[in-house]
Amino acid sequence: MKEHTLEMRNVTKRFPGVIALDDVSLHVKSGEILAICGENGAGKSTLMKVLSGMYTSKEYDGEIWFDGEKLENMNVAKAREIGIEMVYQEINVFLDGSVMENLFVGNLPGKGALVNFKELKQRTKELMDEVGVNVSPTSVCRPMSSGQLQLLSIARARVKEPNIIVFDEPTTSLTDSEVKNLFKLINKMKAEGVAIIYISHKLEEIFELADRVMVIRDGHCISDRPIKETNNNMLIQEMIGREMTDMYPHDPSPATDEVVLKVEHLTVPNPTATDINIVEDISFELHRGEILGLGGLIGAGRSESLGAIYGQYTQGVTKEVYLEGKKVDIKEPDDAIKLGIGFVTEERKRNGFVWLLPIVQNITLISLRRMLPHKWLIDFKAEDKQAQVMFDRLRIKAPSMRTLAGTLSGGNQQKVVLGKWLVNNPKVLFVDEPTKGIDVGTKAEFYKILRELTQQGISIIMVSSDMPELVNMSDRILVLSSGKIQGELTGEHRTQREVMELAIK
Amino acid sequence: MKNKKENAILKAIITKNELGAIIPLAIILVVVAFGNPTFYQLKNLLDILRTASFSFYIAAPLTFLLTAGGMDLSIGSILSFGGVMYAKLIVNGVPVLPSVVLCLIAGALIGFCNGIIIVKYNQPAFIATLGTQYIISGAVLVWTGGISVSGLTAPSKIIGQYYLFDTVPIPILYAVIIGVVCYIVLAKSKWGRSLAAIGGNKETAYLAGIPVVKRRMLIYAIVGVAATFTGVIWAARFANGLPGAGDAVNMKNMAAVIIGGTSPAGGSGTVVGTAFGCILLASIANFLVFLGVPATAQQLIFGVILIAAIFIDRYRRDVLSRG
Repeated sequence: MKEHTLEMRNVTKRFPGVIALDDVSLHVKSGEILAICGENGAGKSTLMKVLSGMYTSKEYDGEIWFDGEKLENMNVAKAREIGIEMVYQEINVFLDGSVMENLFVGNLPGKGALVNFKELKQRTKELMDEVGVNVSPTSVCRPMSSGQLQLLSIARARVKEPNIIVFDEPTTSLTDSEVKNLFKLINKMKAEGVAIIYISHKLEEIFELADRVMVIRDGHCISDRPIKETNNNMLIQEMIGREMTDMYPHDPSPATDEVVLKVEHLTVPNPTATDINIVEDISFELHRGEILGLGGLIGAGRSESLGAIYGQYTQGVTKEVYLEGKKVDIKEPDDAIKLGIGFVTEERKRNGFVWLLPIVQNITLISLRRMLPHKWLIDFKAEDKQAQVMFDRLRIKAPSMRTLAGTLSGGNQQKVVLGKWLVNNPKVLFVDEPTKGIDVGTKAEFYKILRELTQQGISIIMVSSDMPELVNMSDRILVLSSGKIQGELTGEHRTQREVMELAIK
Repeated sequence: MKNKKENAILKAIITKNELGAIIPLAIILVVVAFGNPTFYQLKNLLDILRTASFSFYIAAPLTFLLTAGGMDLSIGSILSFGGVMYAKLIVNGVPVLPSVVLCLIAGALIGFCNGIIIVKYNQPAFIATLGTQYIISGAVLVWTGGISVSGLTAPSKIIGQYYLFDTVPIPILYAVIIGVVCYIVLAKSKWGRSLAAIGGNKETAYLAGIPVVKRRMLIYAIVGVAATFTGVIWAARFANGLPGAGDAVNMKNMAAVIIGGTSPAGGSGTVVGTAFGCILLASIANFLVFLGVPATAQQLIFGVILIAAIFIDRYRRDVLSRG
């Protein structure tokens, strides 16, 4: 296979009022894995948008060179032409199409106008086996899990036989075994001579995969060195620009025994197969001022349980919910909101915030309806005031409160989502994978905020697949598996090993 | 550097929603000043505003609908239906006020049916309202035999033909009232804000406690009411219940809303922009008549404008998404 080199030289990208990239250069060659890490908003996505041609060469300063030739008039088509493929964190799959259609759309094998279905099925099978997803080539994508869909989009990038492939946080929705498969595949591609750029917050992954690692902070390239010459602490320090002493804040006032929320006989049907239950007749209690962790593997029904209590799912759900000792009837989200329950959902893009609305309107999305003095009309001053409090308290990084929420980095979007619930003064807050796809620096900020909330008497149920987060942040952990609560872990028993043992029961 | 500055100005124009309609309108107003000296006569200006008003009755609530991520292709047929129903009621001796009220109720019911199909049963709005468009048009043709209903009484025509102070046609007054109400609702009210949230992300809106289903159904009903209202005033003005009165209305109204800066993909909308969009299209039509372009060819030009408007919208979204 031909050797290729890709270089970005002195790329500077300005947005009104902000310099997103300041004189950043990078290079990568065939058979090499370059990892890029940095906090949210550091400029990684902008850099990749430059590389993929989403910004045309007129929109930034700097040059892109491929195999020693300068690329003029860079755009998406040109990037495709030289074989750059992107695998994004957000899943972008045609859900009602079949697996093989999704893989080969635009590249259908066959002669002339006719599709060679035999070859199509054969190659689909091979590609899906390679990523370790066992599905029929003709089955529709909708019922597949988000992990499987992510792997499908990776297989799709393979079809194009890229020279350079960029993975942007590819493992956020994958299970451990899926991650293993992915890594095997990435190493295979490396051996085949593909140049690989791997963006991730997860440092373990970087140390497992990368040959070289580059750190970006505030639009600057901070370091670029072989993986052997760096270590965990060094990378973290470079990413956040300060030493990380204690990521998980200590809780000075332990949780009380007072029961705030009691859930009994909760049964939730499986969202994809309605004849079986994903959670069957579970009961648990939430104490005031505690963080109750819900552990378990993906698909154990943790998110679904929260959704069912909150009123997001109702069909086939049976439950008895008691809030502060009183039995309550939650038929829809609005009922839960009125009772003072908040829900930071797992996928913020899908149902956490409104892309096209400015930050201020996202923050007041829930509180606005009950905001006085007028029942019908908006008091814009009061709205601004309320949002400003959250904007400052959560330290949302944005040019102004009028900035569209969709243009923020993941961590700042998540802060907007959290702010939306906090202005509503919740008694109980559900947080589902609160730091998914968020960099270490912002993670630490979130942990601090969550602890502040429990000290104010807010009780939190946290679903987390991030093991260190789960065991370090939770006061108590319930582990779900096979539709049941397999055990409760407190005190010293809150270890990753014990969670895992229960999770695979 | 000069190039960059120009780009910045272009960007400012395009990202400020309403300017997409105001600037071409300003250009036309200047151009016609030289081309057509009669354009600026009060009577002609009022004529343009009256034409724009008829679009605006529907276009204003249609702005709500598009903002909330909806779409309605049946408005033209509901308009025709409203006009015919009004004429039939009047001819059969029903007094004016009950006739109007009955027509508006019918419009609400038709719009509500659209809402049930689209919202409750989760069908694509485009196809569903295309279907109801045919059903209603067909029903109107069967009902009238394709012949217009004439013979309206003198009092029944007043609501479309009256002139305020002997100069301002009354349809303009309705448009002003509707415009003010719709503007306040969309830009200043909590209800209006929720529409942008629904259009921007239905799931987020639902989890935020907004009654998404109820609200979307209600907007379809409001659009239905607006369409029959337009039909009623139309019939009163021309003393005629014409089965094809609303034939060319769908595209024109949609174009006015989108040119005005409301996104056809939902999530943001402006009633002021829609008003300018309506006036722009009416001005163009008026100018084309002066130039001697036959009314049949006007559709062609409106089509081009509509396409231009969606390109502007796409560009605007691109610019916004890059921050």
